[in-house]
Amino acid sequence: MAITDILNAVVSLKKEDVVENVIAEINKGTQVDDILNKGLIEAMDVVGARFSSGEVFVPEMLMAAKAMQAGLEVLKPYLSSDTAAQKGTVIIGTVKGDLHDIGKNLVAMMVEGAGFNIIDLGVDVDTDKFVTEAQIHNADVVCLSALLTTTMPAMARTVEAIKEAGLKVKTIIGGAPVTDAYARQIGADGFSDNAPGAVALIRKLVAVAA
Amino acid sequence: MNAKERMEAAINLKPVDKVPNAPFNEAPVCKYYGSTFRASLLEGPEMLKAHMKGLEEFKFDWVMLGMGLIGGIIPEALDCRVNYPEDVFPIIEKTCVFSMEDVDRVAGKDVFTKRMDSFLEGISLLKKELKDEVPIACEYISPFTIATRLRGTNEIMMDMYENPELVHALQEAIVPLDIAIGKALIEAGVEYIFYGADMECPVLLSPDHYKIFVHEPTTKVCNELARLGSKVLPHMCGDIVKTGIVDMLLEMDIHGIMPGNLTQEKVLDIRELKKKVNDRICIFDNINPNGPLLIGKPEEVTKETLEHLEKAKKMSGYIFSTAGTSSPFTPKENYLAMDKEVANFQWS
Repeated sequence: MAITDILNAVVSLKKEDVVENVIAEINKGTQVDDILNKGLIEAMDVVGARFSSGEVFVPEMLMAAKAMQAGLEVLKPYLSSDTAAQKGTVIIGTVKGDLHDIGKNLVAMMVEGAGFNIIDLGVDVDTDKFVTEAQIHNADVVCLSALLTTTMPAMARTVEAIKEAGLKVKTIIGGAPVTDAYARQIGADGFSDNAPGAVALIRKLVAVAA
Repeated sequence: MNAKERMEAAINLKPVDKVPNAPFNEAPVCKYYGSTFRASLLEGPEMLKAHMKGLEEFKFDWVMLGMGLIGGIIPEALDCRVNYPEDVFPIIEKTCVFSMEDVDRVAGKDVFTKRMDSFLEGISLLKKELKDEVPIACEYISPFTIATRLRGTNEIMMDMYENPELVHALQEAIVPLDIAIGKALIEAGVEYIFYGADMECPVLLSPDHYKIFVHEPTTKVCNELARLGSKVLPHMCGDIVKTGIVDMLLEMDIHGIMPGNLTQEKVLDIRELKKKVNDRICIFDNINPNGPLLIGKPEEVTKETLEHLEKAKKMSGYIFSTAGTSSPFTPKENYLAMDKEVANFQWS
């Protein structure tokens, strides 16, 4: 048994094997941070890279995230409470008027898998709610998702409200109709057209802010 | 040539007098000319008013309908809870398939609800008013995409690994309903049915999963609608050439392909698609609805439109279009700039 077995089990979408291997590593006395970073998080990076290169698709991403989360559940009691907080806090939600959540959920799973503290506000989220939750949790990044072209203006309103509230939090946007040009137009700090890209962007923004 | 003749000629790869102009224009038309966006998507007389006004100002070669049908009317008829906001597309608030028992319930549903009747009335009214000079196109969805509406996208995607029987059974239950709705659309006056393959495109699903789960039920519906007299046009995002999906589409009785976006900012080069399909079926162009058209200036739209038209010069079976649904927030001056460029473009 080795940490690579955890990684391989996530990449192979084998949830039961992930759980079994995480338990085995804990029992062996392996550092929990290593199990998290070199096993679960690195596995999601591998899956994310394969998604970006067109080797795997959304069903595989979802199954890998599910397997990773099963491993994370086993690991949680052993993690120090500030492990995720050290990486940063990310607020995510689908904007007002939009109930689509596949992209948002994928990003949330990947961001959690990358070790961030994720707060998922769900779908059809009011602008005020994004602002309030970002304040309460002292968030590093707010991610706004929209599938509908009709709800894209709600992204602009939310980015503006966050700026007006004077928050230092970074904002990123994503979703089927959204483009980099639109992100620039509304003053968002970034855009990604896929979940692994969102994770890379969040890492970059949080590192710069730090 | 009138619009109907021009579209028919292009679909049959025959010479046309000018470029057929058939963008995904329903949402802008409803926004620009509808009493409300919602009413002109869903309610017969309001649909008629909005689209007839649209044809007065634009030189479209078809009337396009269907966003309200696929986003709200069909899922609601099959028991989803749907919200119909005034200024955005319908929103599914609650899915309705949680187990195999629910699949049986779906199979027994009567899909011809009041809302469906009103939508069909709109088609009949338009058909009468258009006097067979401008064809009507309607967006439609495959059994797989309907399944994602009823069960939830994440759930269906994971079911492919955890509960594949349910994915097959649900689609099997949907196929006859999908055909029944398609038949009603054709009888009401729809001539072009374009399949918005939202959830089975190669951006989301692997070609293997497409083949295992999607291809057979979609083929059954497409072939039957073609047999009933409709022109069937699949619309799909992602690289349908490189992934080989196009070969599976060509196994069906289809009349054209409408390629969508590769990413939010890139579209498939239709010359690659043309090489693949050759002169078997017509192809629709794919100007990005989320690019300059939505957020640029009219001169940028003109430039991009012209680039697309130049690439397609001398191409047989070519129809100008957008790569997907145009946003209702598309500035009217941008849509007019695109329309004018297409209308004035010279083939030679």
